[in-house]
Amino acid sequence: MRVRLNSRRLLGWCLALAALLLVTLVIGVGVGSGSATLLDLWGDQTSGDHETKRQILMQVRLPRTLLAALLGGALSLAGAAFQALLRNPLADPYVLGVSGGASIGGVVALTLVQLPLGLRFIPAPLVVPIFAFLGALAALFLIERVATVNGRLTVYTVLLTGAIFNAFSAALIYFIQSLASLEELHAIVFHLMGRVREIELSWIGLLAIAIAVPSLWLFASARDFNALSTGEEGATQLGVDTERLKRRTFILGALLTGIAVSMAGLIGFVGLVVPHLLRLLIGPDHRLLLPASFLGGASFLVIADTLARTLTAPNELPVGVITALVGGPFFLVLLRRRGGQNGFS
Amino acid sequence: MRSHLRLAFCALCCAALACSQTPPAEANRAYQRLAIFAPSAAEMVVALGAADRVVGIGGFGTFPGEIEKRRVVGSFDQPDIEALLELNVDHVLTTSSVNAAAAYERLGRLGIIVESFDTSTFDGVRTTLRALGERLEREAIAEQLLEEMSDGLERIQAQTAGLPIPKVLIAVGTDPLYVAGPGSHLDELIRLAGGSNVAFDATSPYQRYSIEAVLERQPDIIIDTSGQASSWEQWPLLPAVKSGRVHPVDADLLVVPGMRLVEMAALTRDLIHPELATR
Repeated sequence: MRVRLNSRRLLGWCLALAALLLVTLVIGVGVGSGSATLLDLWGDQTSGDHETKRQILMQVRLPRTLLAALLGGALSLAGAAFQALLRNPLADPYVLGVSGGASIGGVVALTLVQLPLGLRFIPAPLVVPIFAFLGALAALFLIERVATVNGRLTVYTVLLTGAIFNAFSAALIYFIQSLASLEELHAIVFHLMGRVREIELSWIGLLAIAIAVPSLWLFASARDFNALSTGEEGATQLGVDTERLKRRTFILGALLTGIAVSMAGLIGFVGLVVPHLLRLLIGPDHRLLLPASFLGGASFLVIADTLARTLTAPNELPVGVITALVGGPFFLVLLRRRGGQNGFS
Repeated sequence: MRSHLRLAFCALCCAALACSQTPPAEANRAYQRLAIFAPSAAEMVVALGAADRVVGIGGFGTFPGEIEKRRVVGSFDQPDIEALLELNVDHVLTTSSVNAAAAYERLGRLGIIVESFDTSTFDGVRTTLRALGERLEREAIAEQLLEEMSDGLERIQAQTAGLPIPKVLIAVGTDPLYVAGPGSHLDELIRLAGGSNVAFDATSPYQRYSIEAVLERQPDIIIDTSGQASSWEQWPLLPAVKSGRVHPVDADLLVVPGMRLVEMAALTRDLIHPELATR
């Protein structure tokens, strides 16, 4: 089932998915554990609890929903890019081991580091994300060095280096955990368990830029990914500099993953299932698949986080539970209906 | 070769069977040499005047000064079996831990009895204190302590009776927000000290909770044991923030129930009804 991609089809799908994202955002801000609804933004301005409801909408739900959208988009796009790079359907954003570095960075910030006086200007809720991101960058640098053999980045070495680095990180975290106090232990568990955190609206803009730059850069490589799906030799014959493409994808995808893991810990499934789901729906052309993965992943995580906030309100569920419980069966049903065709072959 | 293997296998099974039929160590003997993993139980044993019978403590939590120098013999989820045997421990007192069920079972076979106590509620504290009194053969002291405890709690309840009932939130974690809900001693403390818990519908004693629900329910007082009480300042519309009634409290003073229930109740009363504070 290969449909030729024309600009009408591309635009149509992108607009439809953008509309879907907009709807999920409106729902995400519209519902919550409290009784505030969007109408309260325009309702009786003088009533006593108007200000509180406004605060709930603008300072609690809006930033959290936007954060879910950005992170869902980043994870899903990273997953799609890695699946294209490694030509492996099991690839997800965590496969390269960068998430392990982010986890270590966060755990170190929670246990070992007393912030020196000179750095106390960093707001407390940002300390862990910043350390996690530094950990991700260090891991990215290290893995890229190790996986490069004779100036070339080969798929096998990248996959194996990533797997080994993840195992090493897990062991190091267990080691730190076994020495930690009970309070630190709780903090570590919360940090590693994926969740969309409460965040201030003013940080969302910065985060959006940090995610938009690598994302757009990846979109621009879509044609090269299409060539790569015929194999590295085939791509080279089509005039693609595969070494540069691989290195660039590795770094950009790792940056997206590093940002997501720093802000939210390990939220599973978004980066694996959403690209597959979309590949089944819209085909394997990366010019459409990559932007669609971003938009689709954003909608998916917004819905999942909204469910996590509301299903047992005012008690909250970990969002990873929802992404796996909802995403898994849904994906399997679709896979069966398409006769096991995964869009790779 | 194969028949040999089969024979060896049978022998192994028999051995395993024989082992499993060893009677478990006899329960209900008096405590002589104790290892205690639960700080709450340790407080009680010390209060009952039996600190000299404690030979080992756990690695997590704050233990009373009388025994804090005792050897650390593992923790509630990872008992150090060798150390327990070496110290000739006869009983291990702990709170229940699913993680360590297998290790506890093994200790039983080695003649060390593990007893779990639930001290997470007022009732649990009373039941545990009474049981420890019996097993340490200090029933009279236990009864006296129980009476003092009941008197102290009743006195505080009487003081707050009839006063206006402010809305109270106890936050044990802020990122993510974890609150004390029904089933925790903190929930009972709020009620006793003349407040009402805004997290009355939390589904577990310590529950991850929605900040949105807190904003909407407008607690008058927030007691924060997370060490990050300043994070509440981002919600200036909360009555507790507006009126400066966000109280950071050292977790050690509130979160481990035990012999200090009356002190905890007095502290909670002073925070909820400062007009009653003794100083």
